[in-house]
Amino acid sequence: MGLTIVEKILAQHSGRERVQAGEVVVAEVDYAMVTDTRAVNTIKMIDRFGDQPLQFAKKTSLVLDHYSPPPNQEAADIHSEMRKFAAKRGTGLYDIGDGICHQVLPEGGHLTCGDLVVGTDTHSVTYGAFNAFGTGIEGTDVSAVMMSSKLWFRVPQTVRIDLQGVLAPGVWAKDITLAMLGKFGAEGLNYHAIEYVGDAVRAMAIDDRMTLCNHAAELGAKAAILEADEKTFAWLAAHGARTPRPIFADTDAHYAERFTIDVANLAPQLARKHEVDDIVGVDQIEKQKIQFALIGTCTNGRLDDIRQAASILKGRKLAPGVRMIVTPASRQIYLAALREGLIEILTSAGASFESAGCGTCVGITNRLVPGDGDTVISTANRNFKGRLTNKNADIWLGSAATVAASALTGYITDPRLVEGGTWRSAA
Amino acid sequence: MNKGLLIEGSTFVLGDDVNTDINCSNKYLPGKDVAYVAQHAFEQLSPGIASRIAHHGGGILVAGEHFGINSSREQATHVLRQMKVRAIVAQSFGRQFFRNAINNGLPVFECDTSAIDEGQSLELDLARGVLCCQGRVLQKSHPLPSEILAILSMGGLIPFLQKYPDWNFA
Repeated sequence: MGLTIVEKILAQHSGRERVQAGEVVVAEVDYAMVTDTRAVNTIKMIDRFGDQPLQFAKKTSLVLDHYSPPPNQEAADIHSEMRKFAAKRGTGLYDIGDGICHQVLPEGGHLTCGDLVVGTDTHSVTYGAFNAFGTGIEGTDVSAVMMSSKLWFRVPQTVRIDLQGVLAPGVWAKDITLAMLGKFGAEGLNYHAIEYVGDAVRAMAIDDRMTLCNHAAELGAKAAILEADEKTFAWLAAHGARTPRPIFADTDAHYAERFTIDVANLAPQLARKHEVDDIVGVDQIEKQKIQFALIGTCTNGRLDDIRQAASILKGRKLAPGVRMIVTPASRQIYLAALREGLIEILTSAGASFESAGCGTCVGITNRLVPGDGDTVISTANRNFKGRLTNKNADIWLGSAATVAASALTGYITDPRLVEGGTWRSAA
Repeated sequence: MNKGLLIEGSTFVLGDDVNTDINCSNKYLPGKDVAYVAQHAFEQLSPGIASRIAHHGGGILVAGEHFGINSSREQATHVLRQMKVRAIVAQSFGRQFFRNAINNGLPVFECDTSAIDEGQSLELDLARGVLCCQGRVLQKSHPLPSEILAILSMGGLIPFLQKYPDWNFA
């Protein structure tokens, strides 16, 4: 019997012919990432081991993204400690404003097809967009990787999801992932790896593929991985990645389950307040007012997301009473948006830009705090009650197109019904 | 090698989908330390559970599906140890919680827990993958792989690596 993509990557990295779902392997890791939320413990554990050279340091990046910019002295001190550690031990470092870990790692050319990449954040599954096994781990895990270049993994079962048809204009990978959450439920694919294949995936630009894999974290997935194609290779080459070692599943690979889903007629989807898996089509929502709109986060803070918003808001104004924040996922995206004139378009419409980072996704930096009774529509991946600090505010999730269309009208709005709402990226 | 792989204790039962970020960490109790959280952990799900476990001098937590769901806070395992939880037996675990437990030397065992009640006596033989409840074999599960048993018996991943920096322990 053949192997799935994830089984092949884990077998190759543990020096084995083959591995089976359920067994534990000790595998060689290609790259590791540590965010500022887990850095203090990690640094402590590594320093306790002593001052010997850290071979893996050159394959590690510390990313100052969650507390970016630092909201208080404690966070600023954590950042100082990270800078000192990086300089002393020789790891890479992405400083405040450089961007969110899941964006700066691929942009920095740190990963390629066939890699095994770990990061101290659940959404490390994003790297699957590049045919790499990416998974979230904790401080002890990453300390072990930095000290030994290895880590134990329980080989996950793989489910194969064939996304047939091509998304209609105005419908995005975000809408697929929300539909998946509606189908499987939050954590519904706990421990599993997902292989997404099919025409819809092939048609997607890299930005959208990253959304597709990123949001698999809410399904509980250990990894979400795509096949590599010419788009993947071109993107990786443009970002200076190592030579790709693309991995394909065997035709007789064993899957825990196979699903075929036709997405050609999918409407834009929404997660209603408080639950990531309370999913409804935008066409079923009537007159739901919103007061706050966010485009950003590691799920949908990329250039195509900002382009969608600009396409809808060009030459227009936000609805009265609506506030809007745009947080690019990285400094590179911020600069690209600047060059394309998108920042001027959105700022003129009434939106505010925040520096790249995680601060507007979750109540850490308090750069986005809704008032009592406010409804926020956000491109983020989570909407738990109180995630933006105020428990008396509601958070709904949708694509960048749906968020921008809603900011324009003041109500949750189908982007296909507003001018510019069916913009499509050239890829 | 078998140190810590045979565990006995009374059961303390929780339900499905126990979120340890909410119930067993200081994520929503800023500034509170492990000792404080340990006194209040799981209070919403089973009032008085922390003091009952303390009164018994420790015990085994029994839960349903997805124990530790949505939770990545490693601190939860430190809180559980402080509470003298010797092991957790559940239908399934959230994947990061499962990793954290093993990495911190807290035994976890996946099996059907529907027949286990509060206050029963459990014996868990991790090396053989056998769980006994009230003296009779309730479940034989696939034993944990030798790598995991070694990490557990040494009290966690870091102590393990201090002894076997190349993972070469066989």
